[in-house]
Amino acid sequence: MNNQATSKIDPTPTDWSGDVMQRRIKQRYAAERRFKALGLGAILLSASFLLFLLVVMVGNGFRGFTQTELPVEIDFPALTNGAQPAQFEGPDAESRIRSLGVQDIVNGSIEIQYGNDGTDLFSAGAWTSVQSAILKNPSVLIEKTTFYLPVESELDVAYKGSGNPEVEKKITELGDQLSTGFNGNFMGNSDATDPMQVGIWGALKGSLITMFITLALAFPIGVAAALYLEEYAPKNRYTDLIEVSINNLAAVPSIIFGLLGLAVFLNIFGLPRSAALVGGLTLALMTMPVIVISGRNAVKSVPPSIREAALGIGASPIQVVFHHVLPLALPGILTGTIIGMARALGETAPLLMIGMRAFIAKPPDGITDPSTVLPVQIFLWSDEVNRGFVEKTSAAIIVLLVFLLTMNAVAIYLRNRFETRW
Amino acid sequence: MDDMTSGDIQESGVSSAEGASQSISAGDGPPKMTTRNVNVFYGEKQAIDNVSIDVNMDNVTAFIGPSGCGKSTFLRCLNRMNDTIPIAKVTGDITLEGEDIYAPQMDVVQLRARVGMVFQKPNPFPKSIYDNIAYGPRIHGLASGKDELDHIVETSLQRAGLWNEVKDRLQDSGTALSGGQQQRLCIARAIAVDPEVILMDEPCSALDPIATAKIEELIHEIRGKYAIVIVTHNMQQAARVSQRTAFFHLGTLVEYGVTTDIFTNPTEERTRDYITGRYG
Repeated sequence: MNNQATSKIDPTPTDWSGDVMQRRIKQRYAAERRFKALGLGAILLSASFLLFLLVVMVGNGFRGFTQTELPVEIDFPALTNGAQPAQFEGPDAESRIRSLGVQDIVNGSIEIQYGNDGTDLFSAGAWTSVQSAILKNPSVLIEKTTFYLPVESELDVAYKGSGNPEVEKKITELGDQLSTGFNGNFMGNSDATDPMQVGIWGALKGSLITMFITLALAFPIGVAAALYLEEYAPKNRYTDLIEVSINNLAAVPSIIFGLLGLAVFLNIFGLPRSAALVGGLTLALMTMPVIVISGRNAVKSVPPSIREAALGIGASPIQVVFHHVLPLALPGILTGTIIGMARALGETAPLLMIGMRAFIAKPPDGITDPSTVLPVQIFLWSDEVNRGFVEKTSAAIIVLLVFLLTMNAVAIYLRNRFETRW
Repeated sequence: MDDMTSGDIQESGVSSAEGASQSISAGDGPPKMTTRNVNVFYGEKQAIDNVSIDVNMDNVTAFIGPSGCGKSTFLRCLNRMNDTIPIAKVTGDITLEGEDIYAPQMDVVQLRARVGMVFQKPNPFPKSIYDNIAYGPRIHGLASGKDELDHIVETSLQRAGLWNEVKDRLQDSGTALSGGQQQRLCIARAIAVDPEVILMDEPCSALDPIATAKIEELIHEIRGKYAIVIVTHNMQQAARVSQRTAFFHLGTLVEYGVTTDIFTNPTEERTRDYITGRYG
C-alpha cells in the first residue's frame, strides 16, 4: 500500500530542455525586459517634465530679473540750486534728500529730454532709484549725471518681445535709446501695484521668518515626542491611540490646519492676522507629525545592541538616549525634517486662512508684523491682470526654488556631517 | 579549585534533582555574588525555576546548557539587564557583596557599572576606540583629567590585550576593527569602569577560533581581578576557561560544581548526556 501511494504521487521527470521549459524561460526574460523598459520610461518621462518646467521657468523668470531702461540726463547743479554732497551725509540724510524733491527733478529732466508726455514712458516709481543713488553716493550731485531709469510696464513687456502693435510703434520711435539692464529692485523691494517696482524681498523675508518659527517649534517638539514614544512610553492602548492619531495628522489636508490656526491662534489667542508668527505656528502643527513619524522610525532603527552596550556599562536611560540613540538617529530625523520643511515652505492654503494673502508693501521687521511668504506671493501675482506680472511670477518661482534647494542643501550637509562623525 | 569536597557535589545533585535548590558554594573565600531561589517569569512563562548559585573572585564560572535553557536569562538577572524587558519579573534574592541588588534603594545604573557585561555580538559604539573606552569613566566621573583618562584607556586596553594593536590609531572608529578585536574592545570598555564582576554572554560565539583563543587567554589573565561569569554553548570552552561550571536545563539548575568534576564525573544523568553530546 505504501509502495502504491509512492508510485501514484511520483512525478514525471522534469524535462529541463523541453519546449515548455524553453517557452517559460523566454517569457521570464521578456517580462524582465518589459519591466526594465517601463522603469526607464518612467524615469525619462519625469526627467523630461522636470526639464520642461525648468526651461520654461528659467526662460520666463530670467526676464523678471531684468528691466528695460531709458537714459535720463539730470543736471544736478542747475536743478538743485547747487546742493552740496556734504549736506547729504550722516544719520538724517534720508529726510534731507526727501526735501530736495527728487521726484520733481527727475520728472523735469524727463520732460526736457522726451517731451511733455515723456513721463508716461517711465515707470511711476522710476525716481526712487535716483533718490537711492544719491543716498548711496551724494557726490553725483556735483555734476550732470546720466541715469538709466526703468520704463513703464507695457513698454517693458513689449521690448522683451510680447507687446501690442501700439506699443511696438513707440519702441521703434525710441530705437537705440532702449536698453536692458539688471533689475535691482526685484531682490530689494516688496509687493507693489506697478510690476516695474515689485520685489520679492518682503516675501522672501517673510518666508525666512516663518520657516525659522516652524523649525524652532516643530523640530524640538517632534524629536522629543518621537524619543518619548519610542524610548520611554509603555506600549499600551493609549500609546497605540497616540500613534494612530499622529499618522492621521500627517495625512490631514493642509487647509484644515489653516482653519485650526484661524480658530485657535487668531480667535482664541488673539494673535495678529497675517503675521509670520501665526504662519509659523500653523505650519509647525502641520510639520510636526512628519517629524514625529520619521523620528520614531529613525530611533527604532538604532540597533538595540548599542542601547545594551551603553546600559551594560552603567549609562542611565537619559544618557543612553542623548549620547547614543539620538546621535545615531539624527540623520534619519533630519531626512524627515527636510521633507516636512520643504512641504511647509511650499504651502499656500493654510496661510490664506490666517490672512496672509494681504497686500504687504513693506518687508516684516518682526514676527508679529504683517507679512507674506513666497508661495502666497506667487499665487497673488499669478492672479494679476497686468502682463508685467507674468515674468515676475516666474522670477518669484525661481527664488522659491533656490530657497528650497538652499534649505535642503544645508540640511543634507548637516545630515552627512553627523553621519561621518558617528 | 580542587579542594571542593565530594559532599558539596553530592549535595548539589540532590538538591536540584528535588527542585529545592540549596546554596552552592563557589569555593574559597566569601562569595562575591549570591543568588537564592531565583525565579524569572516572562509574562506567564517561567524561564528560570528556583536557581541558587554563588560566584566568587577566584574562579571563572561557566554556565552551560542547551539553547533556551535560561542561562543567558539568569546571567542578565545579575546586573538587572532584564529590567529593560517590561514583561520580565524576577523573584528571589540576588546579592552583590551582601547587598540585595533588587532592593529599592539599589541604584541600577551604579550596579551595572559594578557588574559589567560583554555581549554575544561585539557591540562597540560607533565612535573612536578611545571614546569607546573613555565613555564609561566619563559618565561615572572616574577620571579627574585628561591624563588620568588617558591612563585608564591605556591600562584597560593593555589588560584586554589590545593596546599593541591599536595604540597608533586610537582615534579610528571602533567599528572598523575586526570581530575579535571588537570583542576585546568591549571587554576593555567593561574593564575601564573598574567593575567587580564581569558577565560574558557567549562572548566568542561570533568569532573565529583564533580570536576565540585570544579571548580565552584574556579571560585567564584577568581572572582573580574580577569575578567572571561566562555563558557558553561551547563545552570545550567551558572546560578550558572555567573553574566552576553550572549546567542549566529547561530553566532549572541541574548541576553546579568544579569544572573538572562536571566534565569527568557528573552526578546527574542529564549532565552526562549533555556533555557527551547525546542532546543539546
